[in-house]
Amino acid sequence: MLVGLLQRLKGTPVQKDPAIRVHELMFAYPGGEVALANVSFEVASGESIGIIGPNGAGKTTLFLCLSGVLPVKRGVVQLTGLDPADAAARRLLPTKVGIVFQNSDDQLFNPTVFDDVAFGPLNLGLPAEEVHTRVAESLARVGLTGYEQKVPLHLSAGEKRRAALAGVLAMRPEILLLDEPSTHLDPRSRREFIGLVNGLHVTKVISAHDLEMIRETCQRILLLDRGRIIADGPTRQILANPELMNAHGLEVPHSLTHHADKHHPS
Amino acid sequence: MTLRLEYLPTTDSPLSRLDPRWKLAGLLLSIFVIAVLTTIQASLLALGGAVLLAALSRLPLGWYLARLAALAGVLSVFVVLLPFMLHRGDPEWTLGPVTFSWYGLRVALLLCLKALAIVTLTLVLLATAPLNANLKAAYALRVPRLFVQVALLTYRYVFVMFAELSRLRVALRVRGYRNRATRHSYRTVGHVSGALLVRGLERAERVSHAMRCRGFDGQFRSLDAFKTTSSDVVFFLVLILGFGALCLWDFYKG
Repeated sequence: MLVGLLQRLKGTPVQKDPAIRVHELMFAYPGGEVALANVSFEVASGESIGIIGPNGAGKTTLFLCLSGVLPVKRGVVQLTGLDPADAAARRLLPTKVGIVFQNSDDQLFNPTVFDDVAFGPLNLGLPAEEVHTRVAESLARVGLTGYEQKVPLHLSAGEKRRAALAGVLAMRPEILLLDEPSTHLDPRSRREFIGLVNGLHVTKVISAHDLEMIRETCQRILLLDRGRIIADGPTRQILANPELMNAHGLEVPHSLTHHADKHHPS
Repeated sequence: MTLRLEYLPTTDSPLSRLDPRWKLAGLLLSIFVIAVLTTIQASLLALGGAVLLAALSRLPLGWYLARLAALAGVLSVFVVLLPFMLHRGDPEWTLGPVTFSWYGLRVALLLCLKALAIVTLTLVLLATAPLNANLKAAYALRVPRLFVQVALLTYRYVFVMFAELSRLRVALRVRGYRNRATRHSYRTVGHVSGALLVRGLERAERVSHAMRCRGFDGQFRSLDAFKTTSSDVVFFLVLILGFGALCLWDFYKG
């Protein structure tokens, strides 16, 4: 606090606390299988980072630890200063951290789109007027105004993904976790979703196999394999490294291969 | 056989504009009254009343008749068997070892009339308000929260599980599988059922994660503000007085 005050007096920018801080996180499933081993990283407020890695690398487990779904027993996890291991902080977590799951059907569990988007705000105990405002705002933000009374099952994959995002945005989170957001989307829906994600000015952590999408949405990448962080650096630097990518079951995205340079100027 | 599962139709009728709480309470009480009727005359009148409500609800005729036809298929078993199985010492017809009982036929008829009336009222209830509105009305009428939540989630996910089952069936058919009365078929059906159960369990876990991530703490919260109007009360009273009178008439007649 004193350092911050001195910096402010000197006119130098204040170093803000990171939005996400993970230190030596370890997680093993009940069978003993280690899913995360000594994972440490920080994400600055407003930063957008991509988590890439082969299947079984621990991406989804990391997300579930960050969102407080899986209990963190070893290591430190802090999101906007809240520790999911603490019961009181865990109750506050949904107001700070929103997660969009890989399969939208798992997330849209209410009978109508309105009910689903209103689910989170209602759980926060907000008054009816505020709930209506948030639902209208969130649906407008994802371009689903007018879909309030639609049945989630009848939506297309792209609409389902946007409805799931609206449900999370209605909580007004400071941190957004997106797990494989482009899965099951056709090219147009994927393109629209990328535009939507880029328009959200919150801290974002995006896990995906769709490396082109990661290239377009993230400034920084964490490469995860077998529960360990293998690389942490600028998106282009990691994605354009064929040795690193091949060694961990990944490929350099087409737009970053040499022969594609003339078609995809960076 | 083609697997089909449909969302319930929603109709625009005077009944669909009623407060779901009054409608649910009135129709459930009426169904209870019908279930305890003992005379054919009263049951016939109850069926008439139920059909009148179905007409007022503007139920899609094809949808309504298809459901009654399915019910008739089940009831036909009782109509065929009961006259030969239920005896009460009334004058009976005997042909060799087979004895036909008028009493059995009367019971079968009573059963049919009551079942048709009850199913008609249930269809009126289901088609004049979305299921979620009916379940929220049930919650407002003090039906346990857990039951309402489970019913809502079941209604939402039964279609998803059904789509999963359809995909599994396609996967079987493209590899030449056909249902036959063989050991291989029974084993395959067992494996498919097992796979469906495991997938259902995994999905339930993921849904539970998604709910917790949005602050779900076990409390059922809803924005539906039900509003009672005079037409709700009139509908409820007409229904209760009508079926109540029928019950009394049935009691003194029977």
